[in-house]
Amino acid sequence: MSVTIDALTEADTAGTTAPPAGPRRFRVFRYKRGDERPHYETFEVPVGHRTTVFEALRWIQVHRDRTLALRHSCLHASCGTCGVRVNGKEALACVTMVHDVGREITVEPIANVPVLTDLVVDMREVFERFPDDHPIVRGSEFLDDADTPDGIASYERYEDCIECGLCVSACPVVVTAERYVGPAALAWGERVLEEPRGAEVANLLSWANAPDGVWRCHAIFECTAACPSGVNPAARIMSLRGTLLGRRLRKQPRGSDPT
Amino acid sequence: MSDAIDERRSRGPVQRKGLGPRPVAWLDPRGRTLGHLAFVGNRITGLGLVFYLYLHLAVLSLLLRGGEAWNDFLELATTTVFLLLDVLLLFGLLYHGLNGLRVTLVGTGYVPNRQKALWWVGAVIGTLALALSAFRILGES
Amino acid sequence: MTSAPGTPPFHVLIVGGGGTGGALAHDLTLRGVQVTLVERGEFTSGTTGRHHGLLHSGARYAVGDAESAIECIEENTILRQICPGSFEENDGLFVAITDEDMEYYDDFVKACADCGIPAQELTREQALALEPNLNPSLKAAVRVPDATMDAMRMPLRFFATARRNGADLRNYVEVLDLVVNDRVVSGAVVRDHVTGKVGEISADVVVNATGPWSEKVAAMAGVDVPIRPSPGVMLALRGRLCNMVVNRMHRSGDGDIVVPQRALSIVGTSSWTVDDPEELDVPEDHVQRMYEEGAKLIPAVTRAEFRSAWSAARPLIGSRGDADAGRELSRTFKTYDHAETDGVEGFVTITGGKATTLRGMAELCADVVCHKLGVEAECRTRETVLAPHTEVYAA
Repeated sequence: MSVTIDALTEADTAGTTAPPAGPRRFRVFRYKRGDERPHYETFEVPVGHRTTVFEALRWIQVHRDRTLALRHSCLHASCGTCGVRVNGKEALACVTMVHDVGREITVEPIANVPVLTDLVVDMREVFERFPDDHPIVRGSEFLDDADTPDGIASYERYEDCIECGLCVSACPVVVTAERYVGPAALAWGERVLEEPRGAEVANLLSWANAPDGVWRCHAIFECTAACPSGVNPAARIMSLRGTLLGRRLRKQPRGSDPT
Repeated sequence: MSDAIDERRSRGPVQRKGLGPRPVAWLDPRGRTLGHLAFVGNRITGLGLVFYLYLHLAVLSLLLRGGEAWNDFLELATTTVFLLLDVLLLFGLLYHGLNGLRVTLVGTGYVPNRQKALWWVGAVIGTLALALSAFRILGES
Repeated sequence: MTSAPGTPPFHVLIVGGGGTGGALAHDLTLRGVQVTLVERGEFTSGTTGRHHGLLHSGARYAVGDAESAIECIEENTILRQICPGSFEENDGLFVAITDEDMEYYDDFVKACADCGIPAQELTREQALALEPNLNPSLKAAVRVPDATMDAMRMPLRFFATARRNGADLRNYVEVLDLVVNDRVVSGAVVRDHVTGKVGEISADVVVNATGPWSEKVAAMAGVDVPIRPSPGVMLALRGRLCNMVVNRMHRSGDGDIVVPQRALSIVGTSSWTVDDPEELDVPEDHVQRMYEEGAKLIPAVTRAEFRSAWSAARPLIGSRGDADAGRELSRTFKTYDHAETDGVEGFVTITGGKATTLRGMAELCADVVCHKLGVEAECRTRETVLAPHTEVYAA
């Protein structure tokens, strides 16, 4: 059975040992603890037709500078560890083709999170914002007409959010409002509301209802644009707001203060 | 042992997006999408309208100084430059008002997934309204 | 570190922060051993994080390698208990497409039964009702307790628990060399990529848990382990084409599995060998083969949007010619106590294995290490429910 796939009609191979489509200049952010300030280093990297930013950075690490620190794991946009900014824009390095970026490529760590080393950030600030109840599995809405096997009530799948922090990096509000819970955490809260799976919904609502919760968002939607996983954090924040408003409006005639 | 862990986690520099010091970094439009540019527009027109409001009150206070002061002002107010500024003011009002409607609809969870479409609808309405009004305002000068 | 060498509490330095290293750190910490783990990149950034995410039922090995199959089904069951909420527990299907596949069917079902792997025979119609995207020309299917794991987040729970219990887990610390004097390994020379500085970490035992890099690290101690890095290609497609894991019912071949994972479908895999696992190719013809073979299971594969294609290197244990002197615990993984095999003290290598058997590998390696140190403590990892993966970053 012969299959022609449009994306594969090129004869060259993927990866950095491919016949180069021409070298690209990479300007890479560098920082080690103790440095007075970060600096940028430039490398000429041979790239092929399907080389990803990760592969190019890896080439630099292997062939030019072993001390370049990179963060990566799954290489297929599922673990969320390889988040960087490529020419200022948030992206996952493992699924960003160099070809799509341009001739000169600047790679920097994601914003709004302290840098640990080079392109690696300390993800603690991203994770500390999430509510304690942090389930990673949800019901699968794919193929929902299908039967399930005996003993399995419904199919499960992992949540879309891969905890990459690109939304936190893209959000202009996080820059000035340091205590803002942020898009990733709020989107997660809304997911729990949508599908509680036994979680404490009341706690979640009061956590989201704070001035630094959903109300700090300015409906800018950079987070939704940056998300590589289709989480749509901005819409989820708005939806949370709607829910909170609805509850408030319904409770007001009774004179009780909903918190 | 926990010292080692804390030491590993101590903070490095924090990268911020946008040119300029933190409070105004949001002005930098590079690499930003429509939602952000709309927000920037809202802030600038908002500031502009506040400034205008102050100006307006100052102008109205001329009434306290009697008819002549007011008439002097009216002469200024009918010059072309001033009328152009009026058009600019109208742009600010229309932008801030229409975008404000958009933000309200989106921000209360009514139409959270239509923010781009709403912006363009507002842009069309606003442009038409501005064009018609500008024509009338400047036409009479 | 804090005690004189050779006295309790003993200090073990684990080199390699993949699933094996993490599970070993967890096991040893529970046994009262002081653990430092060093990983040159992010945890699971070697081979562990890159696989397609199959929580093995063992059915793939039932016919050819019963011992591994039994290992898998046992660990499969244990992992679901100690890592609740970390899997897409949808089971899996082995699907027979051709007559040749059907010749394998009876052996397959019998072998699963022999190995204690629950296997439910299904008709073509039943299979299609469960998975409408299956190749309609399928002949029969067998349901087995496969599941999907998150290749990074599940192992990370071992790290999180170990850290919670006091293990010193250091990512971005790279071993440059081992400290060896008179055939005794007493530590490692490391570069900390956070500071850029070089230093030394001393230990009573150093464990080499570096997967396909095992040979490289072992060479630093002047010993040889027969590990050949064996990469394979995987293809991630957007869209969840199935909810259950879908396997081809035949003896192992390329592209014979489709693993659903969040909103993606992962088609795998292929196999070749390299000398150096540092930079792996992603051969275009292998990717093409994933499309072709995957489409035999689920035709919609060819229409699905491309997300990523990448390679990961299995640590393949080659034969050493005569006398596999390492303590052979299973045919899929081995622990080498180099004092026994090579006369080098203070150094142990654990290698081979599958993502599913990480806890089992760690248990047996911890047994070896504790035996060396004279630590008498039972393994408690079968019953210990693990901390959430987020605790690796924020306790």
